[in-house]
Amino acid sequence: MSKWYIGAGEQNDIVISTRIRFARNIADYPFPCKLNTKSRTELNGKIRDAVQNDNKFGLSFVEMKTLAGFEAASMAERHIISPEFASDAGGRAMLISPDEDICIMLCEEDHIRLQVMRPGFALDEAFSVANEIDDFLNSKFDFAFDSRIGYLTQCPTNLGTGMRASVMLHLPCLTMNGAITRLISTVSKLGLTIRGAFGEGSEAVGDMYQLSNQITLGISEKAAIENLKSITLQLCAQERAAREEMIKSLDTEDAIFRAYGLLKWSKLISTDELMKNLSLVRLGSVSGKLPVPLKTVNELMISLQPATINAKAGQKLTPRERDFERAKEVRESLA
Amino acid sequence: MLCQNCGKYEATTHVKRIVNGEAAEAHLCSDCAKMLGYEDVFGGFGNIFGSFLGSFLGDTGVERLSARTLQCEKCGSTFNDIVESGKIGCAKCYETFYEKLLPSLQRIHGKTRHEGKIPNKIAVNGDSKKMQIEKLEEELKAAVDAQNYETAATLRDRIKELKEGGKNE
Repeated sequence: MSKWYIGAGEQNDIVISTRIRFARNIADYPFPCKLNTKSRTELNGKIRDAVQNDNKFGLSFVEMKTLAGFEAASMAERHIISPEFASDAGGRAMLISPDEDICIMLCEEDHIRLQVMRPGFALDEAFSVANEIDDFLNSKFDFAFDSRIGYLTQCPTNLGTGMRASVMLHLPCLTMNGAITRLISTVSKLGLTIRGAFGEGSEAVGDMYQLSNQITLGISEKAAIENLKSITLQLCAQERAAREEMIKSLDTEDAIFRAYGLLKWSKLISTDELMKNLSLVRLGSVSGKLPVPLKTVNELMISLQPATINAKAGQKLTPRERDFERAKEVRESLA
Repeated sequence: MLCQNCGKYEATTHVKRIVNGEAAEAHLCSDCAKMLGYEDVFGGFGNIFGSFLGSFLGDTGVERLSARTLQCEKCGSTFNDIVESGKIGCAKCYETFYEKLLPSLQRIHGKTRHEGKIPNKIAVNGDSKKMQIEKLEEELKAAVDAQNYETAATLRDRIKELKEGGKNE
């Protein structure tokens, strides 16, 4: 199980985790959309050999076809791989660290999608690790690069640095007071994008948001990260101010304790109900209202998504069976 | 009115755009409108031809024909394939369709010139190698101006390696 959501790290009352992702392609190979399963598998094998001959990062090679559907989906739920990568195993593989904090997806949208995750707010640290692995990979392979438009990627939206830096944020009070709508449109004007971190719809389930850089061409990695840092800190400051105000109200306190009671005593809990109430419990935890460690909240949020419950059970359960297992785990964790 | 692109069929799609501050109108038949990608191309970033229309309107028939049949010699993608799939086929496509892609890059990123990391090991050839060296020389100058001699030394070594024959290491 990955360690990036343990509840530690800077700004952890709001920032759950940090992620850096690089898109790279090997020169002389067409991009994945022009490779069939056989050529993809060959290319993946070459990358595996090059990395494992000199494996200073301790990465294991896993072919996606060897995983059950729910296992791959569970990894996507835990943000270790992309949902798109989980959805199609054909000619795809990954190189992954024991802690799952480093994952290199092979033949996702690009030949190489290198991802590094860290708990809390740790953009510089995550970038430095990703950069080191990138240099290592680059010592083994020539990358597709053009001096005018940078690293070449299958989708032009990733051209340039090929870097997406993102932070996962818990913003319950900016969501409750409605300020988030305005903030979403503001950050989009600053070259960033913000969306729900869980679920597929546009709604931010559990008030969890993913803030990332939108633009990759014409802005250096350092500048993009500094920009993301400064906006993250501003959002944190606004969320804290809203929390300070709202937490004084008896209605907010009531909502927090109701959510806690519901999670503590239910026999069946759906994912939506879990996320909605965990958001309030997390607020209660960081504000000292509830005796629940942040680590427990973060763990419940990540480990009780549908496919992850299936993966733990080793089989595909019915929704009702999952609701039962989910409620049981929550009760045990909060007991 | 006949379609301004093919000149054969009745124009049913009328597009108005501001190109370089001047309003430009295009009248297209439904087939050409579709071919020119009046759908989202690169994942919601708007259609590639929106910003393109200026150059499209200025095209001659001959150029238009060649633009349609121009093909990447490495992976066989045509520009139409790229517009339809929203995916570039290979690195060579970027070279082949560079000019055609630039307006979309401008639209997506607001800029068209890379800033940031340069790989240690690059497959460079011909013009791109020359450009690579030029870019590094610019950076070298900036580093020297900023009295950042450590960076300057690294850049100077890289330029030397490139000039001496391509790949380092």
